[in-house]
Amino acid sequence: MDSEEASAQRPVTLDITVEDVNKVAPAPLETSSQTPSRDNDLPQEDSIDLGGEFGTPQEDSNATPSESLMDKLNDQMMESVMISDSPSNSEENDMAPIDSFLDGVVEEDTSGEKEGQCDTGQNATTIKVLVGGQQEGGSEDNVEEDTIKQADTQGHFMENISPSSDSQCPSDLKNEEPASQGTRGTSPKDEPVPVCTIFSHGSQPKSLVPDGFQPTLIKSPSFSMGGSGVNDDPVTPSKLTTPLVCQPSPSLSKFFTDNGQANPASDFFDSFTAPSSFISISNPNHSSSSSSISTTGGPLDSDPLTQTIVFATQPQPFHELQAVFSGNDDPFAKALSLSEVDRRHDAWLPSEETRKVLISVATLSYSPAYTETNRLTMPGLKFDNLQGDAVKDLMVRFLGEQAAMKRQVLTAISVEQSFTGLKQLITSKNWRAAVDLTGRLLTAHGQGYGKAGQPTSHTTDSLQLWFVRLALLTKLNLFQNAEMEFEPFGNLDHPDLYYEYYPTVYPGRRGSMVPFSMRLLHAELPQYLAKPHEAVDRLHNLKIVCLTILENLEKGLAEDGSMITLTQENRQASFKLWQSRLSRVMYSMANCLLLMKDYVLAVETYHSIIQYEPQQRVQLLSGIGRIFLQIGDIKTAETYFQDVEKACQMKGSQSTHTTCMLMNRAFVYLSQNNYAEAHASFTEVLKLDPKNPVANNNAAVCLLYLGRLKESLGQLEGLVQQDPALYLHESVLFNLTTMYELESSRSTQKKQALLEAVACREGDSFNTQCLKLV
Amino acid sequence: MDVNQAKQEHLLALKVMRLTKPTLFTNLPVTCEERDLPGDLFTQLMREDPSTIKGAETLMLGEMLTLPQNFGNIFLGETFSSYISVHNDSNQVVKDILVKADLQTSSQRLNLSASNSAVAELKPECCIDDVIHHEVKEIGTHILVCAVSYTTQYGEKLYFRKFFKFQVLKPLDVKTKFYNAETDEVFLEAQIQNITTSPMFMEKVSLEPSMMYNVTELNTVICGDEGKSTFGKMSYLQPMDTRQYLYCLKPKPEYAEKAGVIKGVTVIGKLDIVWKTNLGERGRLQTSQLQRMAPGYGDIRLSLEMIPDTVNLEEPFDIICKVTNCSERTMDLVLEMCNTRSIHWCGVSGRQLGKLSPATFLSLPLTLLSSVQGLQSISGLRLTDTFLKRTYEYDDIAQVCVVCPYTSNES
Repeated sequence: MDSEEASAQRPVTLDITVEDVNKVAPAPLETSSQTPSRDNDLPQEDSIDLGGEFGTPQEDSNATPSESLMDKLNDQMMESVMISDSPSNSEENDMAPIDSFLDGVVEEDTSGEKEGQCDTGQNATTIKVLVGGQQEGGSEDNVEEDTIKQADTQGHFMENISPSSDSQCPSDLKNEEPASQGTRGTSPKDEPVPVCTIFSHGSQPKSLVPDGFQPTLIKSPSFSMGGSGVNDDPVTPSKLTTPLVCQPSPSLSKFFTDNGQANPASDFFDSFTAPSSFISISNPNHSSSSSSISTTGGPLDSDPLTQTIVFATQPQPFHELQAVFSGNDDPFAKALSLSEVDRRHDAWLPSEETRKVLISVATLSYSPAYTETNRLTMPGLKFDNLQGDAVKDLMVRFLGEQAAMKRQVLTAISVEQSFTGLKQLITSKNWRAAVDLTGRLLTAHGQGYGKAGQPTSHTTDSLQLWFVRLALLTKLNLFQNAEMEFEPFGNLDHPDLYYEYYPTVYPGRRGSMVPFSMRLLHAELPQYLAKPHEAVDRLHNLKIVCLTILENLEKGLAEDGSMITLTQENRQASFKLWQSRLSRVMYSMANCLLLMKDYVLAVETYHSIIQYEPQQRVQLLSGIGRIFLQIGDIKTAETYFQDVEKACQMKGSQSTHTTCMLMNRAFVYLSQNNYAEAHASFTEVLKLDPKNPVANNNAAVCLLYLGRLKESLGQLEGLVQQDPALYLHESVLFNLTTMYELESSRSTQKKQALLEAVACREGDSFNTQCLKLV
Repeated sequence: MDVNQAKQEHLLALKVMRLTKPTLFTNLPVTCEERDLPGDLFTQLMREDPSTIKGAETLMLGEMLTLPQNFGNIFLGETFSSYISVHNDSNQVVKDILVKADLQTSSQRLNLSASNSAVAELKPECCIDDVIHHEVKEIGTHILVCAVSYTTQYGEKLYFRKFFKFQVLKPLDVKTKFYNAETDEVFLEAQIQNITTSPMFMEKVSLEPSMMYNVTELNTVICGDEGKSTFGKMSYLQPMDTRQYLYCLKPKPEYAEKAGVIKGVTVIGKLDIVWKTNLGERGRLQTSQLQRMAPGYGDIRLSLEMIPDTVNLEEPFDIICKVTNCSERTMDLVLEMCNTRSIHWCGVSGRQLGKLSPATFLSLPLTLLSSVQGLQSISGLRLTDTFLKRTYEYDDIAQVCVVCPYTSNES
């Protein structure tokens, strides 16, 4: 048994020596380490023990210790080699850092820290003293255990190499206890081991970090109680900012439930987008009785409540939207070219099954009303109380209610309940409010909270709203929420997501109602949810469709492969569009591969984008170079950066190219640990382009690595004050707050000052985590 | 904030931050087309975002550097760098400040401070900065001990310390295996596994041979003028990936024992490994001396100096054997050749080879033929030492491929 274990620990060396070494090894280990030598801080050890320390035991290859030498040589098992240490360590210092004995020392050290901390005035020799104490313990050990050791050498040795930290022999342990208590009787045992807090910031569990809002599935009460308020409000048109509460109107459900045979649902939705009909939304600021819904001839009861579907305060946005569709000068020509544009953009290749359904709908052999529900898309909001402003929450917490009152941001109810309002929210970076607004608008469409799984009807607008909502959720890093709400859409290939499914609403229109960007978003989403392979799958499907459409166009067919003759002009435009879509898909794919750390494929994919986007050559090659730097392959990165310089020379000297070259050079210096040169290069960029935020930030980062914290801080602080529009970016703020923490104990005040700066400028989508206040 | 809080009355505050390499900020591109509801809003937002690449906003990997967000892992062979900042939080001038940074490992205590001289005075809101570097040479617990002593304006001498504990982990798993060739060459296969959590670029993996050997690296394929790595275009190792390196070692003649024989355990050399990770974070390790047990050859070693690889059926062919006396005594040898089922020896069996002194060898040309096609093993040589009446058997010395020379229509 002894030799079995012993040989298990031996690296490299073969059988015979193994036996020898192990029988001998523990003895020198014992003598050298356990004899207290006051000269050395810590005992030295024979290097043989290292093998035991790091060697990976190979049980099977060593199962029979009596194997002949030749057997051993023919053995196909790999032997484990221990890594002694870094080369600059001399051979003699090849020693085990921790065996059971030294483990004890480390424990002592930590309690020594406690002591040091309680009594700061004490001399710095605490640890040494303790080590000495430990050695005494060890020497007792030596005396008492000598005989045990002789008998039990192999066992002890085995324990030494076991990976668990407390690999002490029971006897060792017994002897240490009194010794340690003797040396520092009063040091509190249960005090936590001091840990560097700056280091441990990131280790805080994510779930504990309040991010200002709670994505939940609970329906907001505002939706159920708003009815009466709405009824009162419309008569006071001056109160534009009063809450215009959007509610799921009972009239909508009537569309679907009361009479199914007349296809009323499509009638209703038709009214949203069909250019000719009046907007189906009542204006709460006008008299509530003038409900446009009635003009569509749909069955409506006269309950005034149903008519105040508060949707848009003014109908202009819809006119704007219509302007896209309806011509202004020559309606006929315009309509014709419009249909060209529609076809080009909406073209998609449905799956075979979906295609059959769509054909049967077209040939009227199949009524859409009877499509099985599992082939229908029935989306609905999965949560509707996202509202919240993390910045304001932080202000309340750190600056008080008074200060928080000053923060004014747009909310879903303070803007027009329309696309215009939505755009306003997006531009002002109030994406949370924008998500809320999409929720309201969708609720008005009958796809509100809890409506998932209920039959509904789709329009161009409803799907655009969904796209905006999901895109914003993604931008806000609320991937789970986006995924939940995407779920009813399946793979975006249900028949009711195609125009052909609604021949009466969209006569003659063909293709996908789902915008291409939404398909892309759907494909990209899983990569943010730790399912990158699914994302790659979906992106590949998109790529195939793009390629097939391009192929169809080359063959002289229409995008979907039908035999429609296109004018040269239209074909060109279509070709351009689909090529740009293909390149966008490739970008997503490359990004996803990069997230997966599949660098080989990612680099290949980025490289292949150059053929579609030759004007991005410089940026793409630089990007690939940075990927190599990230891996650590500086040489290859440099060859890419040389290619960049060649490409720049060919295009003539543009300032952006010079900037790019200097940046690349700076990154190479950085990777060579040459922070001084890197800083110089970033500074050179600033000479050409003093406002370059990246160069400014990076130069400041280099200063920190050069030990110039104050300068670095000064630079970043100055930037944030001078040009908050550019520098209130989460990466810059993160760097700044990190340096505040390093600089002084009063970082919280300084961070609060940043919070105030943020509060004046940033919308509710600001990621407050970078302020590191909580 | 810190667990081991310095007491409030201290005028100075000590902060420590590990300086791993900064990282490049990645943005999250969300785009739409002109015709979509947001119009060009998303595009515009991305263009205004300072962290995107201008002109290629959908490229995820940006250029903005961000400081390390947490301590991360540190591995044996890497360099531990840390920023140490002592800040005067008070509103009085502090004098004679001495900052000492020591690294306590399980075996030793190292002083890492750049200078050991005291700073004469520190005004309020001012800092003493130091960036320390240390190449980590041990596995296990390390404790950074930072001690600050200073004198207040009232002449009071104060002192405090802070401890920062971290674990040094093992980055690589290295396994080796030796293959002994028929010649005296030794092939070393080294399996190197990345047991960290990040991809590793292997900048250099080389075998530094001991004095006794010359080494040839077999990790490139010559094509055209330059060698191409056997590991493909990108020489990086994903977490938990393993890669095999192959080396051929030839004993230097002057170090071989007499008659070109190496006996017993010899030191082959050590592997020197240099890797890089994020933005050039560098690590270097060497293995311990790799030892190899030379195959034992007994008293007499019989090796082949020349043998054809392919021979014709039933046609005699020549081989040259080398007989080396590895023992300490002179031998008087007799050669016997025993035919096997397929191998037939030509010539007389029982030939006297004469006396062979220790550490000398003789070359022995032999002729034989095979009666069976296919891969045939050459066996049946017997050497008898007439002094000690000891017979040494040599079977499976080598293999030859026996082919039929006739074309198929003739047969």
